[in-house]
Amino acid sequence: MSSIKEHFVTPVRYKQWSIGLMAVGVLSLIIGFIMYGGHDQGVRFWAALLQNSVYFLLLVNAVMFFIAAVSLAMGGFQMTFRRVSEAIAASVIPIGFITFVILLCIVFGGKTAIYEWLDRDAVAKDPALNGKKGFLSVPFFMIWTVLTIFLWSFLGWKIRQLSRSIDDTPLTVAEGKKYIFKNTVWTALYIVWFGLTVASVTPWLWLMSLNAHWFSTMYSWYTFASTFVSGCALLTIFVIYFKNQGYLEYVNEEHLHDLGKFMFAFSIFWTYIWFDQFMLIWYANISEETVYFKPRLDGAYVGVFYLNLIINFICPLLIFMKRSSKRNWGTVTFMSVLLIFGHWLDFFQMVFPSPRISPDRVPLNLFDFGIALGFVGLIMWQTARVLSKYPLLAKNHPFLKESIIHHT
Amino acid sequence: MQAPLRYESQVRTALVEGQKDYHQVTEDIVRPVEAAPSRLWWIGFIISVCCLLFGVWSVTEQVIYGVGQWNLHRTIGWGWDITNFVWWVGIGHAGTLISAILLLFRQGWRTGVNRAAEAMTIFAVMCAGQFPIWHMGRVWLCFFIMPYPNTRGPVWPNFNSPLLWDVFAISTYFTVSVLFWYSGLIPDIATVRDRAKVKWRKLMYGVLSFGWTGSTKHWQRHESLSLVLAGLSTPLVLSVHTIVSMDFATSVIPGWHTTIFPPYFVAGAIFSGFAMVQTLLLVSRKVLKLEGYITLEHIEVMNKVIVLTGSIVGIAYLTELFISWYGQNKFEGWAFAQNRVNIFSPYGWSYYLMMGCNVLSPQIFWFRKMRRNLTVTFFMSVIVNIGMWFERFVIIVTSIYRDYLPSSWAMYYAPSIWEVGFYIGTFGLFFTCYFLFSKFFPVIAIAEIKHILKKSGESYKEKMGPLEQMPVEEFAHEYAHAH
Repeated sequence: MSSIKEHFVTPVRYKQWSIGLMAVGVLSLIIGFIMYGGHDQGVRFWAALLQNSVYFLLLVNAVMFFIAAVSLAMGGFQMTFRRVSEAIAASVIPIGFITFVILLCIVFGGKTAIYEWLDRDAVAKDPALNGKKGFLSVPFFMIWTVLTIFLWSFLGWKIRQLSRSIDDTPLTVAEGKKYIFKNTVWTALYIVWFGLTVASVTPWLWLMSLNAHWFSTMYSWYTFASTFVSGCALLTIFVIYFKNQGYLEYVNEEHLHDLGKFMFAFSIFWTYIWFDQFMLIWYANISEETVYFKPRLDGAYVGVFYLNLIINFICPLLIFMKRSSKRNWGTVTFMSVLLIFGHWLDFFQMVFPSPRISPDRVPLNLFDFGIALGFVGLIMWQTARVLSKYPLLAKNHPFLKESIIHHT
Repeated sequence: MQAPLRYESQVRTALVEGQKDYHQVTEDIVRPVEAAPSRLWWIGFIISVCCLLFGVWSVTEQVIYGVGQWNLHRTIGWGWDITNFVWWVGIGHAGTLISAILLLFRQGWRTGVNRAAEAMTIFAVMCAGQFPIWHMGRVWLCFFIMPYPNTRGPVWPNFNSPLLWDVFAISTYFTVSVLFWYSGLIPDIATVRDRAKVKWRKLMYGVLSFGWTGSTKHWQRHESLSLVLAGLSTPLVLSVHTIVSMDFATSVIPGWHTTIFPPYFVAGAIFSGFAMVQTLLLVSRKVLKLEGYITLEHIEVMNKVIVLTGSIVGIAYLTELFISWYGQNKFEGWAFAQNRVNIFSPYGWSYYLMMGCNVLSPQIFWFRKMRRNLTVTFFMSVIVNIGMWFERFVIIVTSIYRDYLPSSWAMYYAPSIWEVGFYIGTFGLFFTCYFLFSKFFPVIAIAEIKHILKKSGESYKEKMGPLEQMPVEEFAHEYAHAH
C-alpha cells in the first residue's frame, strides 16, 4: 500500500475531450447566434443559454452543497473522495461568471421575450405585474444575482481552502476538534446562504419569473431537489472515472453504494416534490395556477412531461431499488449519466414552455445539446485542472480513517 | 490496541459515558424495570391518570350532548380539535425519523434515544386519532369510514377526500410504528425475562419475548426485519404529514391552498417531534439515572436537528408570506396581510407567537453552549411545542374566521371547557402510557447500545490513541488484513 497515487495527472485524451467539448459549445454558440440571434430578440438563443447556464451552475453548486451538508452532519464517509467533490465545486466560479454575463445580457439587453416583467408597457397595463414590480425589477434582480453568485463562490472557495490548509500538518485530537469546529462554522454559513438563495429567492427570480404571472410556493424546493439529484450523479461519475484511472485507492463499493443511495433517495424526494406541486394544483383547479401545466400536460410538451417522469422517477425507482445495482460500477455510471440528462430535460421543460418563449412548439434540437456539451467540457476541464493542483487525499482530515473503513 | 474495524475518530465525542462494559450496560438500563417505582414516578403517574379521566369526562359530555358542546360553528367548523389532531400527529414524527431514516443513515447516536422516541410516536398517534374519531359526533358509526362492501346502499366513503387518505395513512403509520418498536423490544424483553426472579415476571416477559434465544439465526432475522421496516417507514415519515397537510392544501381556501404545504408540514412535524423527545428524555435521563447513555452529545445533536428544521419551517413561512403578495391574489393577500401579519387583528398575536417560538427562538441553538445547556434545552423544547401548536391554530383558524361574506365573520373563537378538557385528556393518555412504558420496558435499546459500545463507548475510545496516531497508509494496510 505504499504506492498510492497522491497527485492527479490529467490524461491527454481527457484533456482533448474536455477541450473538444468546449469547442463544440463555442461552435454551437456561434451557429446558434447566427441562426436564432436576430429573430424575435433572439429568444430561442437566450432561452437555451439561460436554461443551460442556470442548470449547470446549480448542478456544480449542488456538489458544494453536498460537501457542506455532509460536513455539517459530521459525516465521515465523504473523505476518501472529498478532493473530487471540491474540484467539481470549483466550477461554481467560472460557470457563475458565465451565468452572470448571460443574465446581464438578457436583463440589460431588454429581452422582454424572455422575461415579460422587463416589458415596461406590459407591466404598466397589467395590475398583477405592476403590483409586484418591486421584486421583479432590474435593480433587485441584479443585486440579488451578484450576491448569490459571489457568496456561493466565496464561501465555497473558503471551505475548499480550509480543507487544503491542513495538508502538511498532522493534527492532534484537540486540534482536530478545533478544525472540525472551524469547518462547521463555514459550512453552516454556506448552508444558510444556500437556504436563502437556492431554497427560496434565486429560483423565483431566475426561473419562476419566466412565467411572470404564475406562482408556486414549492418552486424553489423543486429546483433544489432536481439539481441535488443531478449534483450527486455528477459527483459519482467523476469518482468512478478517477477510480477507473487508478486513483482514489480508498474508494470502494461501500462509498459507491452510499452515493447510489443518495441518488435513489433524492430521486424519490424529487418525485415527492413534483407530485405535491402537480397534484395540489391539479386538485384545486384554479386557472391562475393550472396555466403552468397547460402547455406541459395538454400542449406541445406532453411528451417531455412524461419523459421527465420516466427518466427521473421510474428509472431510478426500478433500477436503484436493489442493493446490488447500487454497488455495480457500470449500472451506477449509466444511471448517473441518465439522471444528469433527465434533470437537464426537467430544466428544459421549466424554461421553454413559458408564455413568451415557446409555449406551442418544442424547439429542442442539436443547438441545445451543443451548448450543454460545452458546459460539460468546461466542468471536465476545470475539475481536472483544480484536482491536479492539490493532493488527491485530504490525508490529515480527522475523519479520513473512518472513511477508509466505511461500511454502509 | 483495538482493531481498525472498530475505529472511530477520537475527535467525536463518546456516545456512552463512563467505564461501561456489556454487563454494566444491562444493569444500568434494566434497573428501573426491576426496581419498585419511585415516589416521583407515582406522582407523575397519578397526575397523568387524573388528566386522562378529565378527558374521558369531557368526551362523555360531548358524546351525550353532541358536538354542540364544543364552540365550533358554521364559520369556524374546525378549531381546537383539528389543531390538536395535527399537533399530536406531528409530534409522532420524530420517533419514526430516528428509528428509520437515521438507521438508514447509520447514525450511531440514535441508539440512545430511539426506543423512547418510538414509544412516544405510538402514544402521540394514539392521542391524535382521538380527535377525528370523537369529532364525528355519532362515534358509534365510526366504522363507516372504512371502505368495505356494505348494505347501506352501498354508500362508500369519498375517495377524493384527503380526510379518508388520512385514515389510511395514519392507520398504516401506526401499524408499522408498533411493529418497528416491538420488534426492537424483543431482544431486550428477553434480557429482562432472563434476569427475572419472580414467576409472574418470568411468565409475562417470557410470553412477550416470543421465545427469543439470541441465536445467530434470530439476530440475522432481526437485522433484516429492522432494515425492511426501516425501508417501509421512511416513506411513511413523509407520507403521513403530507396527507395531513393535504387536508388543507387541496382546498381553495386562502391561507390553506399552497403547494409548499406537504414538505413544510413534514419539516414542522420533525421539529415538534424532536422538541417532545427532548422534553421527555431530559426528564427520563434524570429520573432513571441514564445520563451515561443519553449524554449531552445526544442532546446537542437533537438541538441541531431542531435549529435545522426550525429554520426550514422559517423559510417555508416566509415563502408563503412572500408568495401571498407576489401572487397578487387579493384573497390570499388578505389572509396573510390582514388576518395574520396585522398584529391588531383578532388573531394577529398568534401569528407572532408562532414566528417567535418556531423561527426566532430556536436560532439560539446556533451556539454550542446553548445546545449543551439543559435548562435552556428544556425551556426551548416546551417553547417549540407551544409554537407548533400555534402554527396549526394560525393555519386553521385565521384562514377561516373571516369568511368571504363579512356577515359570516366570526371574530372570536374560544374553546369550551370540554374542548380544553379533551385536549388535557390526551396529555393524560400520552403520559400515562409513557409512565407505564418506562416502568415495564427498558427505555433505551440495550442491544443497540451494545452494538456501538466498542466503537463509541468512552472507555473504548480512550484506547484508540495508537490507531488515531497511525499513518494513513499503515492504517489502511492494517484494515485490509484485519479480521
